[in-house]
Amino acid sequence: MLEVDGLVTAYGKIEALKGVSLGVERGGITCLLGPNGAGKTTLMMTIAGILRPRRGSIRFDGADLVGRTPAQIVAQGVALVPENRLVFPQMSVRENLLAGAYQRSDSGEIAADAERLYERFPRLRERREQLAGTLSGGEQQMLAVARALMSRPRLLLMDEPSLGLAPIVVDEIFRIIGELNRDGTTLFLVEQNAHKALQVAHRFYLMEQGRVTFSGTPGQLAEDEVIQRAYLGTRRAAV
Amino acid sequence: MIDFVQNTLDGVMIGSSYALLALGFTLIFGVMRRLNLSYGPTIMIGAYLGTLLHVDAGAGAAAVAAATVLGAALAGVYVERLCFAPMAAGAGIASMVSSFAIWMQLEQAAILVLPRHTYAFPPLAAGAPLTLGPFLVRLDHATMLIAAAALATGVYLVLHRTRFGLGLRAIVGNPVAAHLVGVDVRLSTLAAFALASAVGGVAGYLVLAVDQQVTPMFGMWATFKGLIAMMLGGLGSIPGAILGGLLLGAIEAHAQWYFGPHIRDLVTFAVLFLVLVLRPTGLIGEAPPAEAAAYGRA
Repeated sequence: MLEVDGLVTAYGKIEALKGVSLGVERGGITCLLGPNGAGKTTLMMTIAGILRPRRGSIRFDGADLVGRTPAQIVAQGVALVPENRLVFPQMSVRENLLAGAYQRSDSGEIAADAERLYERFPRLRERREQLAGTLSGGEQQMLAVARALMSRPRLLLMDEPSLGLAPIVVDEIFRIIGELNRDGTTLFLVEQNAHKALQVAHRFYLMEQGRVTFSGTPGQLAEDEVIQRAYLGTRRAAV
Repeated sequence: MIDFVQNTLDGVMIGSSYALLALGFTLIFGVMRRLNLSYGPTIMIGAYLGTLLHVDAGAGAAAVAAATVLGAALAGVYVERLCFAPMAAGAGIASMVSSFAIWMQLEQAAILVLPRHTYAFPPLAAGAPLTLGPFLVRLDHATMLIAAAALATGVYLVLHRTRFGLGLRAIVGNPVAAHLVGVDVRLSTLAAFALASAVGGVAGYLVLAVDQQVTPMFGMWATFKGLIAMMLGGLGSIPGAILGGLLLGAIEAHAQWYFGPHIRDLVTFAVLFLVLVLRPTGLIGEAPPAEAAAYGRA
């Protein structure tokens, strides 16, 4: 569904992605693990069109996403739940969902989708008129997911969905990830919680210092080793 | 007591145009997180277009008003393209300095086209003042207040009831997230600039129609009044801009009554100073939301 090939993204002279190639299969959950600074968020931001790559291609269902604006990429069916959630703090929960549907014009369907998401996230229904900035971290994460789903994505990208959340909330987030996938959404997520990620992933990649260093299915690599490499990298001295 | 109420009344009516100036200013600041020092001079360009039509072609009040608003909006688009669109995120100082340079450019351009110091501006509503019990209300002041209230309501409705407004508020909330939900941030920013400059154009028109004359210094005047009113109320806050504008008008009216026109601006700046010391975010402003910490670190 998504094919990334030889992707190079740089901040000034520093290349954060040094030729990343990977694929996301339709209908599955693909996880990307790796230590801080590996370039995971840069990859997500590049796929979503926020950052422009120097080289390489990103193909989504055959269409090249490189050079398209974030708005066009959302319209193509790719939505990103960004790291740190980035909800719109001075807007209500309801307005955040409405903003998620910004690219759509079918207002009746938009209302129906919002209703379905309130079914899935009852906490959001309770707080629909509350300002998003006043929600707890876990609620904001639910809202960020719901907002992204409002664009009816075929591929949902999630960047560190469990970051900074209490263990019980992390369990909830991963339960939702499983549900979304069973309902037919393809997911590609960056996670620092390797244990949790390996439980849901159909396929995973390890990334270190701007390169993909392992690709396989859970079980192909001992969890200990995955965790060590995901947190510390292969070359410990570099951390 | 009657004097006090009359001064407050006069001040609030004049202040309604300051509120509009601050509203336009704060729209730009909210969307860009950058100060547009050229804001006043873009309004002055609109006003000069208006007075040119009036002096050369005998245009009436309606045509002058339209020309002022349209001219201000176009000049605003020019400033956005030149000083804001090309500057990378995080280069706020570059935008501010270049908007200062364009201020000088616009002022000199106005002087080149219309070299006399003052030009006539057609009055808006002539006639005897209305009496409200012991108080007097000038017709043009009343028109100013009504027009300002209507326009501020209109801007509020645009921001809260339209898709365009939703996109703008998304940009204000978090520009990266606005991109991610599919807002065309560049286009919306340009449109916000045009809207803000047009709002400033209406304010400029209302003020000049009361003064019945325009000078090239009007640009500086408008930037100052808008900036002070915005800072009193709180950067980036729309209710703050309205409150700041009305308050600034009232403070000026009282200061002028008690201390005379020369001391008036000193009092204004003293009040601004006090407000900023006691409440650095302005009277009802909030601290700007934390920037997307995640992004840029990757």
